Order: sequence, then C-alpha cells, then structure tokens
Amino acid sequence: MKNEITLQTRREFLRTTVLGSALSWTVPAFLANTLTALQSEAADSGTQIVTGKDSTILVVLQMAGGNDGLNTVVPFTNDFYHKARPKIGLSAQQVLSLNGEIGFNSALAGFKNLYDSGNLAVVQGVGYPNPNRSHFRSTEIWQTASASDRVEKYGWLGRYFDNACSGADPTVGVTIGSQLPQAFFAKQPKGICLNNPQNYRFMANGSATEESYKKLNEMEMASPAPDDSNSGGTIGSLAAGMPMQGGSAVDFISRTALDAQMSSDKVRDIAAKAQNQATYPGSQLGNSLKLVAKLIGGGLPTRVYYVSQGGYDTHTNQVNTQTRLLQDLGDSTKAFVEDMKAQANMQRVLVMTFSEFGRRVSENANGGTDHGAAAPMFIVGNKVKAGLLGKYPSLAPEDLFQGDIKYNVDFRNVYAAVLENWLKTKSAPVLGKQFEPLPLV
Amino acid sequence: MLKPLAEKNWNYSTAAHLLNRAGFGGTPVEIQKLADLGPDKAVAFLIDYEKIPDATTNPEWAKPDPARAEKFRAAQNASPEEKRKLQQEEQQLQRRHMMELRGWWLARMAKGPRPFQEKMVLFWHGHFATSVEKVRSAYFMWRQNELFRRLATGNWQQLLTEAGKDPAMLVWLDQAQSRKDHPNENFAREVMELFALGEGHYTEKDITEGARALTGWSLDRANEKYVYRPRAHDDGEKTFLGRTGNLNGDDVIAQIVAQPQAARFITAKLWNYFAGQYPTDEMNTALAAVFRANGNNFKPFLRVMFRSEEFYRAPVVRNQVKSPVQWLVGSVRVLECDLPPTLVSWGMTRQLGQDLFAPPNVKGWDGGVTWITTNTLLTRYNDAQALVEGTLPPLGAGDFAGKPGGAGGEKAMKMLQRVRMGGVDVEKILTPEERADKAAIVASLERRLLQSPLKGEQEKALREFLGSKTKLNNADILTAIRLMMSTPEYQVT
Repeated sequence: MKNEITLQTRREFLRTTVLGSALSWTVPAFLANTLTALQSEAADSGTQIVTGKDSTILVVLQMAGGNDGLNTVVPFTNDFYHKARPKIGLSAQQVLSLNGEIGFNSALAGFKNLYDSGNLAVVQGVGYPNPNRSHFRSTEIWQTASASDRVEKYGWLGRYFDNACSGADPTVGVTIGSQLPQAFFAKQPKGICLNNPQNYRFMANGSATEESYKKLNEMEMASPAPDDSNSGGTIGSLAAGMPMQGGSAVDFISRTALDAQMSSDKVRDIAAKAQNQATYPGSQLGNSLKLVAKLIGGGLPTRVYYVSQGGYDTHTNQVNTQTRLLQDLGDSTKAFVEDMKAQANMQRVLVMTFSEFGRRVSENANGGTDHGAAAPMFIVGNKVKAGLLGKYPSLAPEDLFQGDIKYNVDFRNVYAAVLENWLKTKSAPVLGKQFEPLPLV
Repeated sequence: MLKPLAEKNWNYSTAAHLLNRAGFGGTPVEIQKLADLGPDKAVAFLIDYEKIPDATTNPEWAKPDPARAEKFRAAQNASPEEKRKLQQEEQQLQRRHMMELRGWWLARMAKGPRPFQEKMVLFWHGHFATSVEKVRSAYFMWRQNELFRRLATGNWQQLLTEAGKDPAMLVWLDQAQSRKDHPNENFAREVMELFALGEGHYTEKDITEGARALTGWSLDRANEKYVYRPRAHDDGEKTFLGRTGNLNGDDVIAQIVAQPQAARFITAKLWNYFAGQYPTDEMNTALAAVFRANGNNFKPFLRVMFRSEEFYRAPVVRNQVKSPVQWLVGSVRVLECDLPPTLVSWGMTRQLGQDLFAPPNVKGWDGGVTWITTNTLLTRYNDAQALVEGTLPPLGAGDFAGKPGGAGGEKAMKMLQRVRMGGVDVEKILTPEERADKAAIVASLERRLLQSPLKGEQEKALREFLGSKTKLNNADILTAIRLMMSTPEYQVT
C-alpha cells in the first residue's frame, strides 16, 4: 500500500502527513492509511480546487467591540429612537437618508455611494436566539456559528476549509494581522497570517543559513503525542484558546513553520508585483484592505480573507468614536471596491461585515451605549441584492427584550447564503444543520 | 493530587523548568544553583522574593501632578487652537512616559533580582487587562503596575478590591462615571465574567444589581486618586449573588470572592499561566481547595503548586508556548545580553502580539498556541537575528503607530535610526574549549537555550552548518545561535 503513495517532494509529503489528520503524528502505521484516505477525499467532488484566477472570494470584515447598529443605520423618523436617545440620537440632518425613514450615519458616505451604485446590501436586525452580551462569548458564537448555549471549538470558516478545501495550499485563508481569528480554527488548520509582505520571510545572512533554517523547520513525523489526560477540563468555561487537537505545542508550531515556509516566497512575489489602483485611508483597516487587494490582484489562491477593525465598544462619548470608525469603514471599503473594479475582479469578490452585537436602545448616562443584541450586517459586491433587506426591528418598548431590539434574521442564514450561493459549497456540514440561505447574492 | 515532588527527583531539568515558569529562565549557572538548593529552597528562593533587595527606583514622573489638572482646568477657557496645542503636548508627554514605563518594566523582568514577582505582575496585567489606549495616563498605568507588584502574591479579596478602586481601572471600565440614576455596567460585568467567576456563574440581574451597589466608587481627577462619592451611590436595597441589603462596592467584591466558583476560577487561570494549560476538573478542585484552605492567599497556594509532582510531569514540561515577553526577556537572560533599547523591545513584543500596557481587549491575551501564526513565527525568527547579531529588527512605521491616524510611527522610525543594538558576546557564553569543538558548541547551546536536545535531524543540520565553515569565527557561532532560536522547539518552554 505504501508504494501507491507518490508525492513529489519531501516537503509536500511532510505537509500532507502533518496536516492530513490529527492521528498522523501518533502512530506511523496510520500514515499510509491516512494518505490513501486523503487522496480519495480529494477526488470527492466536494473538494474545491483553488486556482486564484476564477474562483469567488469572500472578505470577512470584523467590527470588533459591538457596533451600535441604531446609530449606523438610523431610524431617524422613529419617535421611540429619539426618546431613548435624547443626547446621541441622530436627526434627519445628520444622516444620509435611504428611504425617508432610515438613513446611514453621515460618516458612512462611502457606504452610501456603494448603496447608490447597487453594490451594497444592508441586512437589518441580524442576531441569534438567546443573545449573549459578553464580548467574548458573543464573538465566539459568531466565529463558530454555534447556538448560544453550545460551545464549539472550531470556527465556521475552519469547518469550510475542512469540508471543502482539503489538501489546499495554506494560503486558502489569509488573515491580515498577527492573530488568527477563531473563525479559522479547524480540525486541519489552514490559513496564514501576515501584515507586512516585505517582512514575511526568513531573513538570512547567506544561503547556508537559509538552507539550515529550512532543514531545522521541516517537521519530523511521528513525535509521540504527550500524555493528554490533563487537557480539556474547565477550558470551555474560561477561554477561547485554540484547541491543540491532542498534539504538543511543538507539533502545532512545526505545522505553522511549514506553512510559513511554503507561503512566504509566493506572498512576497505577488505583493511586490501587484499595484493598488485606488487611494485608501491611512488607517489600519485601509492598509489591510489595500494588502488584500494586492494579493487578489496578484492571484494568490485564496478563498477567504479576514480583516478587522476595532474600537466599537462605545460605553462613553460614543458619537466621536463611532463617527471616526464608520468614516474609516466606509472610505476603506469604497476604496477597496474601486480597486477591485480597476482590477476587473469585482465580480469575484464579496465583502461581509459583522460585529459581535449591537447596543442597548437607550443611551447611558455617559453619552454612550451598553452591550446589546441585534444589529445590521453589510454585504458588498457586484452581484448582491442591493438595498435594505429584511425588516427594521421594532423599537417599541413592548417589543424590546431587556432593553434590546429583537433579531429578525439569524446570522447563520446569512452565512448559509454566503457558503451556498457565493462559495458554492453545501452549508449544512459547515453550520451543523440546514439554515435557509437568505437571498443575498 | 498535588503531592510534593520527591527530593530525589529534583535535578537540573526540574530546576530549569521551575526557573522558566516561575521566572523568565536563566543561565546554566543560575539553574545549577537552584538544582543544588533542593526543591523546597529553590521554590522559596523564587517566591519569597521579599528577602531579596530590589533597588529599582520609580520613574521621576510617577507621582500625582496637581499642576496638570490645573493646566487642564485653565485650558477650558482657551481658544480651540490653544486647546489643540495643549492636547498635542499632553499626548507627546504621555507617549514619552509610556515609552519609559515599558522600558522600566521590561528591565525589571530581564535584569531585576525578583523574576517571580515580575512574572506575577505580568500575570495580573494580563488578567486585569487594562490598556493605556483608553486610560491615557502613564502615571495611572504605573500605579496599577505597582499595585500588582505590591499585592502580587497577596490576598484575593484585597487585590480584587484594590484593583477595582485603582484609577486606571476606574477609567478603563467606566466605573468612574457610574451614577445611581444611570449605573454603568461595564465593571460590574467584567469583574464577574473575566476577573473572578467566569461566564455562566451569575445572571444578568446580578450585573445590574452589582452595578447599582458599585455606584459611588469614583475617581478624583484633580488629585488623581480613588474617591468614594456618597451622592452617586444608590442606597436602595439590592440583591447580588444571593445576598440582599443596601450593598456597596466592597460588599460586591466580598460576595464574589465568597463564591466557591471564585477559587476555582482564579486557580485554574494561574495553573494555566504557569503550567501551560487549564487543569482537569479534578485537578481544579484540588487547586481550589488548597487556595481556600489558605484563606484565599496566593503565596501558600503557589508554593504548593510549584512543589507538586503534577507541575513537573507531561504534558506540562516543555509544552508551553513562550509569550512574546517571555521570549524576549528569557532570551536576554539566557544569552546574557543587553535588553534592546526600549523602542526596539517594544516594537518586537508588539509585533509578536503582546503590546505591554495595551492588551487587545478586556480579556487580555489569549496566549498559548494563539501566539503562533505564520506571521509571528517568522517575526520571532527574524527578531532572533536582531537580538543575537545586534542588527536592527525589521520594524516599520506601522509597528509603532498609535491610534488610527496617529503620527507616532514616522517619528519612531526616525528614532530607530539612532538605535544601537548590543548583540550576544559569544566568548561570554561559550568557553574557549567549547568554541574550538563544533559538537561541543551544539551541545552547550542546547543546554543553555533549550535545556533539552534537538531532534536528530535538527542537530545534524546545525552540525552541518558549522561544518561547512572551514575556519569557524564568532559570527558563524552567532548565526548558529540564531538558527537554534529559529526552531519550533525554541518557541516553547
């Protein structure tokens, strides 16, 4: 059986065995079986081939901290709204009206522009049952697409990689930044992280050094798994640490080292060649999207890019902070769309925003708002059903739950739409059950 | 459970493990010293640090500045232009002080005589996860850091109470602005969710009631200290975690710490910090029992922990990913080199994902394997070169930029051009006999850097590298050190 396995290079062999299965480092005898299983899995029609040229691309944009949806997509004619927000409520003059009743925060001129040109959909009132007001738990729920009473360790994008991208290059998922989001956690971890392509390499003072580095970082197979009896435990109640899948810390780092080695040359070549054709804000988000645009333009075989923008936890003096953030969000996204259009890649790209929760309907005493529940999501692309989707949640006091608006759309219906109609894969294996895809794309 | 490790099983490896975890690692001489002391005295040497004099002096600006508050009051009537100018000056001043503060703390960790105390301060900083990005005062951040140092191994109720009344915390979680007519829930929520109990061990009602009870805890901005404001306090009856009455903030903390879950929560977090993973339920029960039996005091609890067999067993040993700070400070200690200038040290730790005094959010750093991504791993490998060879690490303006749109980055890049790095002195860490013998070099470096051998293939690669040099010079040995640091194995401890 072993003789049937033909892999071209030692590195490819190492990578496949290392990433192929959680079992692969325990018992060498499993390797042959695992590889055979992998090969047949790859032959399965569910596995996507990522070329970097024609496949669709998802850009996930996280608005971390809990964005106040009510002051983002503003029901400026609603009396309940103004009654609940005497200080921070926005008047007709402070919004960019969409339909005479609802308008964008005026900082979102970039979004208004995309909305008018038919490239932006607003999904109103998105949330989930039994909402949790903890940043971390709610973020975890969005990242893992779990029900709010269930703790999942793998992320929804990680499960997409596991289900549909087995055997793909590590660059199938790219996070701009230095931390991998929990959404990427997977049984067979995939995805790279970077923020500065020039430094995304091993800097060596000579070819001998570089050769040695490569050898030192080619993982030896079958280092025995450590005694695992002490893992698990109370981890679920405490933190969203990345599960180690029974391997040791060194095994995990070795896999990452291999991914770094394999992706480094390609990423740098692409980033050095590609040019941006739009002007971005100088913000972190602007720079992140700028880099994403380059990598797309250069043809990196990536299905999912992940960028994030923080600072939305506006308990005090919300107006200034949120204005600055939304301005940045709208302008950066608009620049990115212009860049994609100039590249003729716009038809391949879909941007989806999310935030862990919206905020309380009533403002607090400090010109801010406390943690809440449902909020709008924004979907940007050439083929989106542009406009206001769904219904604006009622602000009538009798319709609120503990001061929060109720959701109309479960975020997993949005994920289902993105998976099925955009990434063209079955959503049920990723989301755990079938959610009706929202007609978005 | 938690039986003491037998004296006869105490050796160089266990001593190295203790020093790595309860400190930031050390030289072979330091490890041997702990090995010779035996387990009881070795643990005591580290955790009874009060006996070791620490001559560190405070930064000269680390005191309340009444003139500052006065300046701001006066500025309220100033023209917008003057106000802007004043704001800019203030920002620059804070930036300078923060830079000094980072260097001050990193030096205590890297060179100070009480590594365990600093390791605890680092734990509390990550636990209470307060960021200067919102607090905007170097003095407040220093004060909080000193609070963690003073009560590093003290009593939980006292620490939690003082941390709640700490000016930086009062700003960070908005307690300073909470009033009885509109209680702010931020601190009330996080003190239970993140600091003391964990999600699922309280209700939303406990949060609103706790927030009411906590009203009155406030900040005297003019004198830059905690103040109790009776008029802001809600004197009504509240029911919090099962206790009813006209409760105040101290009652809230006392009631939290009295929950059995409180001991489970904090001991699990400490075990994770020192042992590298969360305990099993059974282990957590044992840890919590020791903590409670010792009156919720940390020092006796930690002594039991560091003496326990479980602490020296798989999967604890050599299975913890070094945090960026541990990576940097530990490297400086084992390589016996200078801590890079603060600008560089800060840039490195920040690039690697651990920006001291600016944790990413209220939960602090996730730690563990989340420190490692393709990005941070390559950066560690490249920073190793800078540290060892004394070259500038690859840092860009973006690595220093403050708030979005901040101009700090460009200025930092200019300052960076004047920075001089030290590098490692090969002759200090290898004897002439070792330097003359390629196999001895590898063995000695393994003992110093990893305290365990590399895998066969890796050793071979290093030996081949040294072997390819016809005449081995110190620069080649430096490269070999850097290569050994550019392995998955060096990233764990």
